[in-house]
Amino acid sequence: MAFELQTRAIRKSFSGVEVLHGVDLDAVGGSVLALLGENGAGKSTLVKILSGDYKPDSGEIHIDGDIRQSLDPVSARQIGIRMIFQEIVDAPTLTVAENIALGHLPRRLGLVDWSTVRRKAVQVLTELEVELDPNAIVGELRVGERQIIEIARELTEDARCLILDEPTAALSSQEVERLFQFIRRLRDRGVAIIYITHRLDEVPTIADRVQVLRDGNVVIRGEVAQFARKELVQAMVGRAVGEVKRPESIARHEPAQPRIRLEAAASGDDFLDVNLEAYAGEVVALYGKIGSGSASVAEALFGMRALTAGKLELNGETMSFGHPREAIEADVGLMPADRQREAAFMVRSVAENLVAPSWPRIARLGALITSGMESTIYARWHDLLGVRSRNDPAQLLATLSGGNQQKVLLGRWLERNSKVLVLIEPTRGVDVGARQEIYKLLRGLAAEGVAIVVSTSDYEEVVQVADRAVVMARGAIVANLDGNEITTERLIAEGH
Amino acid sequence: MDALDSGTDQDPEVTGTPATLGNTAAAVIPSTRPVRRAFVISTVMALVVLLAAEFLYFTFEAPFFFTWDNLLNILTAASIIGIIAAPGTMLLIAGQFDLSVGSGAAFCGMVLAVVAQDHGLFIGVLAAVAAGAGLGILNGFLVTVIEINALITTLGTLAVFRGLTEVLSSGQVVAVNNFSSIGTARPFLNIPVPVIILAVIVAIFWFVLRYTTFGRAMYAIGANPLAARLVGIRSKRLIFIGFVLSGLCVSLGGLINSSQLGSASPNTALGMELSVVTAIVLGGTSLTGGRGTILGTVIGLLVISVLNNGMVLMNIDPFYQDIARGCLLILAVAFDRLSSRFGALSGRQTA
Repeated sequence: MAFELQTRAIRKSFSGVEVLHGVDLDAVGGSVLALLGENGAGKSTLVKILSGDYKPDSGEIHIDGDIRQSLDPVSARQIGIRMIFQEIVDAPTLTVAENIALGHLPRRLGLVDWSTVRRKAVQVLTELEVELDPNAIVGELRVGERQIIEIARELTEDARCLILDEPTAALSSQEVERLFQFIRRLRDRGVAIIYITHRLDEVPTIADRVQVLRDGNVVIRGEVAQFARKELVQAMVGRAVGEVKRPESIARHEPAQPRIRLEAAASGDDFLDVNLEAYAGEVVALYGKIGSGSASVAEALFGMRALTAGKLELNGETMSFGHPREAIEADVGLMPADRQREAAFMVRSVAENLVAPSWPRIARLGALITSGMESTIYARWHDLLGVRSRNDPAQLLATLSGGNQQKVLLGRWLERNSKVLVLIEPTRGVDVGARQEIYKLLRGLAAEGVAIVVSTSDYEEVVQVADRAVVMARGAIVANLDGNEITTERLIAEGH
Repeated sequence: MDALDSGTDQDPEVTGTPATLGNTAAAVIPSTRPVRRAFVISTVMALVVLLAAEFLYFTFEAPFFFTWDNLLNILTAASIIGIIAAPGTMLLIAGQFDLSVGSGAAFCGMVLAVVAQDHGLFIGVLAAVAAGAGLGILNGFLVTVIEINALITTLGTLAVFRGLTEVLSSGQVVAVNNFSSIGTARPFLNIPVPVIILAVIVAIFWFVLRYTTFGRAMYAIGANPLAARLVGIRSKRLIFIGFVLSGLCVSLGGLINSSQLGSASPNTALGMELSVVTAIVLGGTSLTGGRGTILGTVIGLLVISVLNNGMVLMNIDPFYQDIARGCLLILAVAFDRLSSRFGALSGRQTA
């Protein structure tokens, strides 16, 4: 008989506000359940109840018919519930093998059994078909590789229910396919899988059943085949949104000179012989899976990565940026990949976050500034950016959702009046609704004459936003796609 | 009042409608930093209540406590610590520490005394200020160029400067003659000069932190050094300047001390870093950087000074004062940590 994990009428409140209003969920061994919903819909709260992190206010949890009021982390683990979080929580200074064994180091005679640690790591990596050196230091790996290690760690023990919270957010399409194969293998072994995702295109590929949460209620529940993609989107958002479609091709009268240009550029082992240009008024996508070098090229445009060959030209002038400040003064802006680590001042106000790169520009007498000035500027952008918040310039950035944080951080380059905007994975961890709004903002900026370069590993993003696409693989450009040549099929085919 | 630092914000969780709650809740921040203003405000409120309680208690228990002269005594005793805590607050906001302040002040005072013996007071004062700048430059260089952790750097220089002071004075107390003006004169409303200097320094740092790009940048560096770099802030340069400002204020503290005592001793300001850090942390500046105010530090400073003064007036053994100071520091840090944890939990609770 297949393993069954069910919740019945789960309710949960925080600070007197109910976020789950009686939620049912059925996870069955040998089946993949896709759990969909926008940020704040209650998905994470629900699965944290399953992993024992939260106690529900009311409702029941059924485990193979055994009825419980709540779980705690230890018993959830004993039952075989394994949770893989979206954020990476590894030990960056340890090796791959040590990270995989983290928390359950095999011992012999009271000492760590290092040969077993290594053997198990090799075994699980082989099973995942990942070519990673077990002795590599995790902190030196790429985000996608670290994510795989996170999953690998949970798979070394017997799992009966695997909960994955947006595991593919940082993975390349190839890595995603590998992960899917692995999930299917686990499913066929009888594991119940709960798969939380934003990416609707993944649902028919991986899931057997689907459940959509919105504002703490279940809005859709059933077999995947029952629902069209559009229905799922509407269920998640609660309103109709624009589907994946190409932006209208705008009549570009190409200026003689590109705004920014890389010529025969190389940077160490990261990329080689890259020729790239972005003209005013266009969005150029730099598509490639994680590790293809597309992010490194984007960083080179901002001077974060020194060129070892070739040159960087801005409006025809050869440049070399020693500090990001020089790039900013040359009207280049960068949205880095890791919002939290590289871009956001979480404990500061939204106004300060928005105005930061413009401080030297708006200051009176070269140095004087008031938060009144910042608030005025923020008020100007708040609606234009479509930030959903309390519309209080003093609100801390940390209190906004990921998508709204991203809008504020994008706004900083709008306020700075950047002529070249480089974005790396601009919608990672951003929900469907906010994603569309960010694309609209980018298109709007391009229409105003900004040259935009989007480095991304998300092919849907490329299709939705780019006028031209440059496809990278293994540190080199492998294809240049123009206009309607940009399709998901082409991108996937070229990117391998 | 400046909107950024005013306490009018309401708790997002309480005021949010369920729809906006979704957005609020989605701020999944694994960082352990405090994210909620409401709680930080209550930290300041707690301090004010603590201060008021001290006032009430000592007013009833020690008859001399609530007199104009004694209040001036409290401020005078607080002035040197406050003058040094002002740049210290700025440094901690940027995520940096300067622990070398106590022995730095002793060194500057000693430079004054030794140089003034041969070359006169004026040159002596110049030398002391130059010494303070030099200490700051050394700390700043080690932290920003060599890139040694500020805590370790200034722990090292704390010992080095104390040793230099002893070498300079051969371990003796050196007299400083005719230099009582900045330490003891009372030019206005009977207010001693050190208190006026304290007010000026506090006003300057309050202004710089609140109304200048430099101040904004210090907050940004403390909140996220990587992001600060990517928005074009030259973090190293600014941190360097922060250490130099600290050094200059330390020399000011050393001068006032020598002026008050009429001498410079190698044991001057022993353990002062404890009082300075306590005032800063008690005042709500986050140990992880990115948040804090000068006014908070001033209140923290008053809490310590009133306590010290009251205990003296009540004839309590001075050994207990050390115990009280140490407990206050731990209390302050505990508050910072607990508010971080509380903030992190509430930020994550509905994620």
